[in-house]
This record gives sequence, structure tokens and C-alpha cells, in this order.
Amino acid sequence: MSGVRVAAGQGTDVWAHEGPRLLADLEHGPGLAVHRRRSIGRQPWPTSGRELAELLEAVDLRGRGGAAFPLARKVRTAAKARGRPVVVVNAAEGEPASSKDSTLMLLKPHLVLDGAQLVAQAIGADTIHVVVPGERPSVQAGVRTAMADRADADPVSMSLRQAECRFVAGESSAVLELLSGRPNLPVTTSRPSAVSGLGGRPTVLSNAETYAQAALLARDGVDVYCSVGTPAEPGTRLLTIDGDGDRPTVLEVAHGTRLAPLLAAADADADNGLLLGGYHGTWLPPAAVADLTVSAMAMIEAGAAIGAGVMLPLRAGVCPIRRTAVVVGYLAGESANRCGPCKFGLPALAHAVRDLALGAVRSSARIVQLMDAVERRGACHHPDGTTRSIRSMLRECPLEVEMHLSGSCTAAAVAVPAGAW
Amino acid sequence: MHGRRGRCPGWCVVSASTRAPDPARQQLTVDWQSCDGHGLCAEILPELVHLDEWHFPVVQRAVPKELERLARAAVVACPKLALKITKP
Repeated sequence: MSGVRVAAGQGTDVWAHEGPRLLADLEHGPGLAVHRRRSIGRQPWPTSGRELAELLEAVDLRGRGGAAFPLARKVRTAAKARGRPVVVVNAAEGEPASSKDSTLMLLKPHLVLDGAQLVAQAIGADTIHVVVPGERPSVQAGVRTAMADRADADPVSMSLRQAECRFVAGESSAVLELLSGRPNLPVTTSRPSAVSGLGGRPTVLSNAETYAQAALLARDGVDVYCSVGTPAEPGTRLLTIDGDGDRPTVLEVAHGTRLAPLLAAADADADNGLLLGGYHGTWLPPAAVADLTVSAMAMIEAGAAIGAGVMLPLRAGVCPIRRTAVVVGYLAGESANRCGPCKFGLPALAHAVRDLALGAVRSSARIVQLMDAVERRGACHHPDGTTRSIRSMLRECPLEVEMHLSGSCTAAAVAVPAGAW
Repeated sequence: MHGRRGRCPGWCVVSASTRAPDPARQQLTVDWQSCDGHGLCAEILPELVHLDEWHFPVVQRAVPKELERLARAAVVACPKLALKITKP
């Protein structure tokens, strides 16, 4: 596989590998002319919400931002709901370990924008909002150029907004708050945004990759789309693999591909277990990684969730408990400080996990007590995601936990690298 | 008047929105970003609400029929309007 260097900003370059679909023909660049040439002879786009939903259901296209919600359900609901619909493309990866949406926006912006136009035209939306990450200014510049290039041809007008530089800024309700002119933070929502979202209007909000996948599906048709992947999960998926925290690699792989060789291709180890799904993810032990395939179902069977496709393999000699402590410390600092249990509970939890990592406690009871105290008690899932990674650590690394409780972890002496994760 | 058990005269906006309950399934929920941990809900409705170590409410969601009156009193007592009764 060949690698393309993507300057995503924030000092860290991302390496993108050529892929079968979304990341095909990288050498031709992100320009509109190349994109249009590839789209010649495409299938006609669906003209109603119902038609589009049927197309999406034929391949069971689900959101690629982490929640894996069926896009067809959002489209159907928004098309039926009262009011003029709005389309929101969420490319604001708050998760610092994820780079796939930024990479996609930089390398293939027109695929994403095509997907947004496709959805907007089918459901009769009058505006498309594209939200890009604050941490990566080059993404905003790239998307602005792409939008200007195609402005004449697009029937639905598009606007661009930059999210704030924080973990929870990419959460869907936080994105809608930003677009409404309020602080870019999560809020409690009583109704799904497809019914009542931005300004009370029906809103289809999904991840950038989801729109790009929808554009590919509409361009090539169901048969071509399903020619890679597995019968249950057709098509491909973007992954971010970050082995040692300073060289994130973005790959596009067909569903059903074995994971271990991919880790090797990204210069990462598969022998020490990995944190699957990013900072809000799940630890998987080496034995589970060895024969895991890239598939949402296989990962659910392994007790994990693929989330936004982030894989953080552990380096040899680094202790998973210390790693988790660093992650939880970061997440506690990223609380929006609005919901009490998160504001007070996460710092307390970070403290408790750090105590475990330092070998300062003889029981993990306090960690469990604090996790029970913060779960499902907030406007967003930030507390739940944080406890998910801690719970999986306690479940999957019992030996290491035991060594820390008895004060005999030898890896504790190995310094945690100062990389992004 | 909102602090006393069930004494809300019923003309205020809050009670108007929470009146006429569905007898079958009422749920008590907290709007977390509004809640400041005043704790009046736990004073009025200790049967369903207790406070955690940071004085934020831990609520038992399902409201039994006999506690509906008290639950409504707790809802109107909240100075941040953060406690709600909802039907799933």
C-alpha cells in the first residue's frame, strides 16, 4: 500500500493509504474536475426521501461517527416531519485519536459534498451546513476551496462552520448548538434531530464519511457497492490506526478484512492489545485482536464497538493501566463542566484511576463506585464513554490490575510517551 | 409556595405543563445541564430521589401512582426547572 502524507495541522501529519473506494485515485488530488470525470455515467440520483431511504436500506448504510444509526431512518423521518429540512455534515472529529474525517475532507471533499447534496435534494432541504474541526485549520481551507469550485453547479446552498477545539464539540447536539449560535457544547435533547433539530426544523445530521458512502452508493448503484465487503456488511470503512501516538494512519478497508495485517501495515503492533473505538472505546486483549475482522458485528461479539473506526494499539512495554489513566485524565479535562455528575465525577474518577496506575491503592472499589455514580447522568454520553474504557480495562486486563493493586507492576517504570494518545 | 408539599395553587406555568398526567407510565428525569444540585427534590421526594456525594440527584425513574402528587411537587419546587416528569 502506498501512503500519502496529509497535513492536517496541529503539528501531526496523517498518513493516508490508497483504498478501494473512498480513498481511490489519491494521486489525482482532491480537485473537482477529477471527481466529475469519475462520476460520468453515474446512476441518476433518487428524487424523493422514500427512494433514497430504500437505496440506503438496500446496503444498510449506518452512521460512521460512532453510533452506527441507520441513515435511512433519519432520511425517512426528516422527509416526513413538519417543516423544511436541513442537512448537517459533521466532520468535527473531537476525538483527538481520530483523523479519518479530516483526511476524507482533505483528500475527497467532493464525495462528501456530493453525499450532502444527494440527501438534501432528496428530502427537499434548503441548506447544508458543513462543520469542520477547529483543531485542523487546513480542513476548513480545503473544504472552502472545494465549495467555491462547485458553488455554481449545486442546487442546495452550503455553509461552512468551524467547531471549537474540544472533545465534546463534535457531539451531535453540540454541533446543532454551534449552528444555532450558542456555545459549542452538548445539551439535553428530548426529540431526535430528524424530527426537530436546527431551529426546530427536521435535520439530517450525520458524519462526513456517512455522506461520502451515500454518494458512492448513489453513483455506482447497489450491485457495485456490494461487490466488496461481506453480505451482511457490504462496502468499506475508514479506520484510523495510531500505534505510537505520532503517526496516525488512515486506511479504507472492506468489511471482513482481518485486522492484524492492517495494524502491521500501519507500523503498529498487534501483540499487546489495543484500545478499539478511541478514547471512549474498549480494550481488547491480544488474543481477541489476533483473529478479529473489520466488522461491526464481529466487534460486538468480541465485546467492543468499532465506533468511529479508531484503533489504538498498545506499544510493547507500555502498561495499559497507565495508558488508561492518561486517557481518563484527558477526558476528565474535556468535560463541558455543565452537568454536575460529569463535572465533579470525571475528575474524581481520573484521580482514582491514576491512583491505581501509581500503585497507591489496594482496591478498585472506589473506581467502580465512581463509575456507577456518573453513568447515564449527563446531557451527552461523555461520562458513559469514559467509563466504558475503564470498565473494559478492569475486565480485559485483570492481571495488570492485580499487579497494580499489589504494587508489583514493572511496566510502571516505563515512561508514557508524550504523543497524542 | 413551590417548596411546600403539593401546595402549588396550579396556576403557574410549570404546573400547567405537568398537569394531566398519563396514569400509566410517568418518568422522572433530570435535565443535567440545568441542575445545580440545590437538592429540593430529595427533600420533597426522598422516596425516589437521593443525593450523590456531590449533592446531585440520583432519581429512580418510574413514578408509582401513589407518589405522583409528591413528584409533581418536587418538579415545581426545582429552582432551576431541571426536574421533569415525562412519558416515554
